[in-house]
Amino acid sequence: MSMVSTAPSRRRRVKIDPWRWVGRIFLLFLLTFTVLPMLWMVLTSIKSQFAAMQYPPQWWPAEPTLQNYAKLLDPNGSTGQEFLRYFWNSFYVSMVTTILGVIVAVPAAYAFSRFTFPGRTFLFFSVLLRNMFPSVVFLMPLFLLMRWMGLVNTHGSLILTYLTFGLPLSIWLLKGFFDNIPIQLEQAARIDGATRFQAFFFIVMPLSTPGIIATSIFSFIGAWNEYVYAYTFLSKQDSMTLPVGIQRFFTEFATDWPGLMAATFLMSVPVVVLFLVLQKYFVRALTEGAVKH
Amino acid sequence: MSIATEREIAARAKRPIRFGVLRQMVDRRSDYLYVLPALIVMMIVIAYPIYYTIELSFFNTPSNLQMKDKVFIGLDNYARILTSRSFREVTMNTFIWTVASTFFAFLLGLGAALSLHREFLGRGVLRAVLLIPYVVSAVAASYVWKWLYHSDFGVIGALAVQFGFTDRPINFIDNIHTVLPSLIVVNIWKEFSFAMIMLMAGLQTVPDQLLRAAQVDGANAWQRFWHVTFPHLKGVSMVTVLLLMVANFNAFIIPWIMTSGGPAGASDIWITQIYTIAFGRQRYGLASAYSVILFIVMMTLGYFYVRALTRGDDTRVK
Amino acid sequence: MAQVVLKEIVKQYGSLYAVNNVSLTVEDGEFVALVGPSGCGKTTTLNLVAGLLPMTGGDVLIGDRNVTDLDPKDRDIAMVFQNYALYPNKTVYKNLAFPLQMRKLSKAEIDTKVMDAAKVLDIVHLLQRKPRELSGGQQQRVALGRALVRDPQVFLMDEPLSNLDAKLRVQMRTELKRFHQDLKATVIYVTHDQLEAVTMADKMAVMSGGFLQQYDSPKNVFEHPVNMFVASFVGSPAMSLIPLEAINTGGKIALSSSEGWQLPLSEANSKKAQTASTSKIVLGARHSTLQLHKSKESNSVPGRVYTVEPTGDVTFVQVFLGGATVIVSLDPSVDVKSDQEVWIEFDQERLHLFDGETEMALTDP
Repeated sequence: MSMVSTAPSRRRRVKIDPWRWVGRIFLLFLLTFTVLPMLWMVLTSIKSQFAAMQYPPQWWPAEPTLQNYAKLLDPNGSTGQEFLRYFWNSFYVSMVTTILGVIVAVPAAYAFSRFTFPGRTFLFFSVLLRNMFPSVVFLMPLFLLMRWMGLVNTHGSLILTYLTFGLPLSIWLLKGFFDNIPIQLEQAARIDGATRFQAFFFIVMPLSTPGIIATSIFSFIGAWNEYVYAYTFLSKQDSMTLPVGIQRFFTEFATDWPGLMAATFLMSVPVVVLFLVLQKYFVRALTEGAVKH
Repeated sequence: MSIATEREIAARAKRPIRFGVLRQMVDRRSDYLYVLPALIVMMIVIAYPIYYTIELSFFNTPSNLQMKDKVFIGLDNYARILTSRSFREVTMNTFIWTVASTFFAFLLGLGAALSLHREFLGRGVLRAVLLIPYVVSAVAASYVWKWLYHSDFGVIGALAVQFGFTDRPINFIDNIHTVLPSLIVVNIWKEFSFAMIMLMAGLQTVPDQLLRAAQVDGANAWQRFWHVTFPHLKGVSMVTVLLLMVANFNAFIIPWIMTSGGPAGASDIWITQIYTIAFGRQRYGLASAYSVILFIVMMTLGYFYVRALTRGDDTRVK
Repeated sequence: MAQVVLKEIVKQYGSLYAVNNVSLTVEDGEFVALVGPSGCGKTTTLNLVAGLLPMTGGDVLIGDRNVTDLDPKDRDIAMVFQNYALYPNKTVYKNLAFPLQMRKLSKAEIDTKVMDAAKVLDIVHLLQRKPRELSGGQQQRVALGRALVRDPQVFLMDEPLSNLDAKLRVQMRTELKRFHQDLKATVIYVTHDQLEAVTMADKMAVMSGGFLQQYDSPKNVFEHPVNMFVASFVGSPAMSLIPLEAINTGGKIALSSSEGWQLPLSEANSKKAQTASTSKIVLGARHSTLQLHKSKESNSVPGRVYTVEPTGDVTFVQVFLGGATVIVSLDPSVDVKSDQEVWIEFDQERLHLFDGETEMALTDP
């Protein structure tokens, strides 16, 4: 009896799960692949321009310096003024887009989740189909439209565009959240004396806060990172958002790589921080709908 | 129900007729108020441009963008595109770009999801770090990789020399043979974690009991994956692949910022081509026709996308 | 409290009639149970009374007001839901206060009313908790409390006990009944459990396929079901139904089975049987009206025991008879075994006859 029971346990101790090791090595590879470019960006950003342009490269900055960052964030220097201007523009556009997006998407998603009205299915698919179309397809007519409305070089053109292009996803995400709120809660509220709107506002809205947060992060990050429309609609320096701004700004001095790396670093900070803080919601938003729980 | 049939007949005769779609729409007019804001915004920014693109595709437009001077030329724009030599090259590039990016991003994502499925110390941190490239702007990614690929001071070339693969730095993106693969690597870097996160969510739907049952039945790790895990991931995988394909097909920023389609059109894909025609050469009509072709391809993909997304959703409609 | 009148109400979804021409009157202070199998339209009917669904046709009157076109909030009703529908982000206190806040009562009034209701339902110690921290029975009380604070004209209850475990359900049943008696409240109560209806209600409305089948006191529904559906739905175990063939034996009617035996009917029952539209007649009998004999007696028909189910107080015996299964209740001391030959005697006074075509009960001409 004891012979029989010790034999397998000894074997188990010797045996290692090869798949686990394959997985670990693979993850190590992915981590290197992911992190090295970001690491090199940071390392370059703390070099002087002279130190960056060497062959073979300085693997580690010999004289690390924050001078690139100081220049970008100095409100008195011309570089700093422009950079901070872009930064503010990006923030403003993303913020307004996000807030307006929630205001418009929440009622629409609620309607899609709750009502069965004629044309509902059609509306819904048209909402979803928007996701399919490349932004470049819309670029020309929208550019002409914005020019006609006098919105070229204004942030209004971007906000309107981002708002629309963010809507389908926002509606889809929020609908998923509303679907999970039992309809009896609203019925109870309506019997308790609430109008349909009050039931929605006092009962459903507070319960869908996680959904609204998730949707907001998505709109914000999307707007912050958007390039194509900003690149086309904005040609005036002082209205540019970051992705366009830093490009314009640095192609004039195409060789200032450390400065560019510092700028891309600063540009990435807000979204990465936002993502890390609200990771749970972000991941949920990303997978909601595609994976049925 | 065969009970009370007489009463049923009587009731049917008495029943007031209050139906028809119109009546229903009037009855429920307040429901539409919820969708109206979204509808209005989308009409302006989506419906109109689609209509206008289709219209312009049949015209020769002046380069000063005074659209009142446009000339109707029927299908000439389409004919010109479909017969041009560059169309074939660009299509080939688009195909390689889309398929290779999707395939490798999915593969890396799947590997990462499977490796991360088991709980271990630092798993959450690792997941977050791997997701960062997906979150940062493609503009930032493009500049960083452009610097990594730099023909003289690029770190990748320097590393290759350091480890003895070559004796001089490699010219990644100024070489017509290496430019497209180099851009694809950037794209994969940017989006593989999207596949990872989707598949991780999908893995959570695989019932543990089934895996244990398979283990008891004597299936090894690979067999468990192939017979239990993978079939459960089919739905998610399909949606993920479709979303990746759509995103890659529509990708503009990486090729545009890194090479603008160059050198010699070696990294030109449909989107960059359309942009160049429209905003470089100011030929909106031609670019519109190009867009319409793209449209049709997207609609085909879109059909499958909607089908995949709404599978099983019909039960909820009521 | 008030009377509730449903006048020919209809609810249609496309070509499907969820509620078909239902009319009934709930008197002031009455406890009415809407019963029927799932999908019979009972919950839809309740929602129409509440105003949660638009009606296709008909009218609803509460008190002397026609509320057909009023919003739920203006109908002065309270509702208890199957899943309780407590607002998960609000404390118990705030859940109870919500209907009063919506009616713009002062803080002091709200406080008094909430505390009164909480005392009645013995949930004062739970007031600061969130719904998810409560047990099922406690949630049930809170849901009831939220209906109670308002002092509405009518209480609507949608299967309020079905999420509770068996023991709690019995306890809450008596409490609800007591609650109704104390408040003299008008209650419309939806349930799929006929036992709940029979034990609690003053009247029960049996529904099937969107139609109201019978509306009467539980006693009358039990003793005089109008058709085969009601007969088989009300009562546990269900009434046994045996399809037979009527034959005329010199003025009197006898029911003949495919197994060859005949059951002569009494004079009164013969008259009923003659009103049938067909010779196919279904014989119905409750388990307690049947007698089981171990040997052949006059007026008894042969059968074979299928299963024996002792429940403690009584033993239910299923008997194969005339191509159907008949349930007989026996004193536990009687000893029968499966596959045993037995003889069943029917009580002519208390048996039911149904028309084999229309499935309607046959009554005195």
